[in-house]
Amino acid sequence: MEKLIKDLQVKIVDVLNLIDVQPDDIKVDQRLVGGNLGIDSIDVLEMVIMIEKDYGVKIDNKELGVKVFASLRTLAEYIHAKSPGLTN
Amino acid sequence: MTAVRAYISGMGIITSLGNGISSTTDAIQKSLRGIRPLTLFATAPNQPLPVGEAANLIEKDDLPRTHQLARLAAEQAMADAREAPDAVVMGVTTGGMLTTENLLKKNARDPKLFRRHATGSVAEDIARRFRCTGPALTVSTACSSGAAAIKIALEMLRSGRVKRVLAGGADSLCRLTYYGFNSLQLIDPDGARPFDQNRRGMTVGEGAAMLLLTANEPDHAVAEVLGAGLSCDAYHPATPHPRGRGALAAMQTAIEDARISVADIDYINLHGTGTLDNDMAEARAIDTLYNRKKPLLSSIKGACGHALAAAGAIEAVVSAISISRGVVPANVGCCRPDPGLKLDPVMQPSQGPIETVLSNSFGFGGNNAAIVLGACGKPKPGQTAADNRPMAILGSACLTGTGRTERTMKAVAKGEACAGMLDLKEISANLSAGRIRRLKRFPRLALSLAIDAHADSGAGDTPAAVFLGTGWGALSETSDFLNRLFETDEQFPSPTDFVGSVHNAAAGQIAMHFQAVGANITMTGGDFSFEQSLMAAGLLSENMRDAFLVIGADESHPELSRLFDRSVAKSSCPADGGGALYLKKGTGNSGLTIGSLFFESSENNPNVVSSLIQQIEAQQSFNDRYGVILAGLPAACRSEGDIQLQTLLALTGFNHPVIDYRKLTGEFASASAVAAVMAVKFLQQGQIPAPLCEDKPGELGEKGALIIGTGDYITAMEVMPQ
Repeated sequence: MEKLIKDLQVKIVDVLNLIDVQPDDIKVDQRLVGGNLGIDSIDVLEMVIMIEKDYGVKIDNKELGVKVFASLRTLAEYIHAKSPGLTN
Repeated sequence: MTAVRAYISGMGIITSLGNGISSTTDAIQKSLRGIRPLTLFATAPNQPLPVGEAANLIEKDDLPRTHQLARLAAEQAMADAREAPDAVVMGVTTGGMLTTENLLKKNARDPKLFRRHATGSVAEDIARRFRCTGPALTVSTACSSGAAAIKIALEMLRSGRVKRVLAGGADSLCRLTYYGFNSLQLIDPDGARPFDQNRRGMTVGEGAAMLLLTANEPDHAVAEVLGAGLSCDAYHPATPHPRGRGALAAMQTAIEDARISVADIDYINLHGTGTLDNDMAEARAIDTLYNRKKPLLSSIKGACGHALAAAGAIEAVVSAISISRGVVPANVGCCRPDPGLKLDPVMQPSQGPIETVLSNSFGFGGNNAAIVLGACGKPKPGQTAADNRPMAILGSACLTGTGRTERTMKAVAKGEACAGMLDLKEISANLSAGRIRRLKRFPRLALSLAIDAHADSGAGDTPAAVFLGTGWGALSETSDFLNRLFETDEQFPSPTDFVGSVHNAAAGQIAMHFQAVGANITMTGGDFSFEQSLMAAGLLSENMRDAFLVIGADESHPELSRLFDRSVAKSSCPADGGGALYLKKGTGNSGLTIGSLFFESSENNPNVVSSLIQQIEAQQSFNDRYGVILAGLPAACRSEGDIQLQTLLALTGFNHPVIDYRKLTGEFASASAVAAVMAVKFLQQGQIPAPLCEDKPGELGEKGALIIGTGDYITAMEVMPQ
C-alpha cells in the first residue's frame, strides 16, 4: 500500500504535468480534486485512463469517480482492492 | 434605412435520419431514430458504441467523407438556384480527419495524400463546385460552428456586400471525436437521451446541412433568418457554465438581434446533447429566460446524434422545416423527463402553425450561438443604421522565431529573417505556470500574443470578444492524441489532448483569461485564416462598444506541419508564430485603423487582380493611398503568386517598397498576422526600414500599408492612418 501511494504520487504529478508540485506535496488524506493542487474534472479523466492502463482498474462513471478520487488514500484503496496484478 | 432580410431560398440536409428534406421530414414525423452501433471503422476489442452514421454514402477514395456530406447537402440547397453564391461560409471541425487517420495508421507520409485534411478545404471545395469566386470562409467553434457560420452569413448579407450566401456545416465521424468524447465519459452507451432523468451522455453523429441565404426574396422562400447571437462562457474548456450563463446570453442576443420578444417564440430547437452538464445548463438558461410558460421544446440529438460542426446548420434546417411544414420534432430518446430540469420536452411530434423558432448550439471553449428563424412575409422593423466606424488599433504584438515584437522588429529593421521556432519557455514567459500546464505550443502562442497585444494598448479595459485565425490549430495536441490512441491499440486516448485538440480551444483560453464573454470565433481558412478572422471581426463587431482581439497564430509541428501545409513541405526551415491586434470600433490611441478589403478566389476568376485594383482605386490611387505593400507569397504557389503580384504592380505602377514578407517570417499559415503587425509598426515609425526599401522611398507620410495575400485566393487588408 505504501508503495502504491508513492507510485501514484509520482504518476499523478507526471501525467497531469503539475508544475511546482512535488510528489510528496500530494498528502494522503488531502482533498484530491478541486483543492490546492488545482486538479479538475479533465484531470480526473486523465487519471482514470492512467489507472486503467497501469493497474487494469476501470472507473467508468461519475458517481464512482467522486468516491474513488476523494483523496489519495481512497484512490489507492480502490486500486488495491480491484487491481488483478496487485498483492499485499 | 430598409432592413436587409435573409431568406432561406434553398436548403439541403443529410444525417443518420436520411438524405434530403423530404426523408428528413418523414423521419421527424415518424420519430425515427438513426442511432446504431458504429460500422465506419473497427473498434475491436471493444464493442462499437452507438453513433449517428449517415447511410448509403458512395465512398470515393480520394474525397474525405466530410467533403462528400457537404457536397450532398449543398447540391440540394443549390438545386433551384440560377446564380452562383457570392460567398460560402461553413462550420467544419473534423474536415478530412477520418482520411488523415487512415493515412497515418498506414504510415503514409506523402503530403499530397493529405491535401484535403484542412477544415477549410471543405468550403473551398463547395465554392469551386458552385462557381463561387467570393470568400469561402470556415468557422471552427466546435459544436456551435454551423450556427456561427449562419450568423456570419447573415451579417455578410446585412453589410450589403453580398446578395447570396451558401452557409452551413459539415462533419464526418472520425476516431478523434469518437474516442475523444468517450475518453471524457460523455457517451451514453444506450444512445443519447436528452433531458431524460437517466441520461448518461451524448451520441456522436455526422452529417451536413447547407442553406442558400438570399437578400432578395425568392419565389419560394422556406423561411427567414431573423437574427442570431453569439457568446462565450469564458468558464471552462469543456464544461458549460453550470447556470447556463453563456447559453442565456446567446439566446438573449439572438432574440434582440431578431427584434422579436421572448413571447414570440413558438418552438425552441434545443442544443440538448444528452450530457448531464449540458442539459442542466441549457435547462437553467431557459428557465431564466422564461419565468412562466415555455414554448414547445425539443432536441433532435436523440434521433440523429450530435453532428458537431454540422449540428447548428442541421438544426437550422429542421427549424425551417418546422416553420414551413408546421411539424415540431419529438425529443426522441427521452422517456421520463428529468424533473430537476423543469423542462417538458415535446414527447410526440406535434403538428400546428409554427412562425418563429429559436435554435441553440453550444460548444467546447464555451462558444455559444443561437439563431432565430421566422416565417416569411411578416413585416419586420427596420434595423439600426450600419456601423461604418473603422476598426481602430489600440495595441499590437507579434511573435516569430527571433522573439517577441521588439526582437522581431529589430531583425526586420535590418532586413534579416526572423523565421524559426521560439523556445516554448520564451513563448510562455508572460503566462502563469499553473494556468498553462495543459496547454501545448499553439494555445500558448495564441494566449501569449493576446496578452502582449492587450498590454501594448496600455488600456485598463479588457476585450469583450475574440477572433482567432489559424491554418492548422493545435497540431501538438492532435498528434499526441492520435499517437497515443494508435500506440495503445485504441484503448487509452488522452482526454486532455482531445479537449486541447479542438481548433477553438485556444480562443476559449483567451476568453477565460480576459473573461471575454462576447463572440468567440475561430476561423480556419488555411493561408487566409487571419484574413478570415479579421473579416469576421469586421462583420461581428457592428455596434460593439467594447474592444476585441483579432489574432492569427500557427504552430510548427515536426511531423504534421509538412504533411498538411504544402508551403511548409517546400521549406527547409520550420517556422511559426503569429500576430495579434487589440481593436475597437471608432478612434484609437495609435491613430491607425485596419480593415479587410478584398477576398476573391483566383480560380475561374481571370480578372481578380483588376477587380482588386478597381475596388481600391474607387477611393484613391494606389500610389497616393499606400506607402508600402506587404505581399504574402506562400511557397506552394510562389510562381502563381508572383505573377499575380507583378500584374498588380504593373497595372497600378506602384512605386513604393514591396515586402515579400514570408522571406522574413518563414512559411506558416498565419504569417500574414505578423505582416499586419509589421505594417502597424512601420506606420507608427513613419517609415520603412532602409534594407527593405530596395532604393524606393521609405517615408510613409500620411500613407497606409496594404497587405495582400496571393495564391488560391487574392486577399487584401489595409492599415491606415486615421
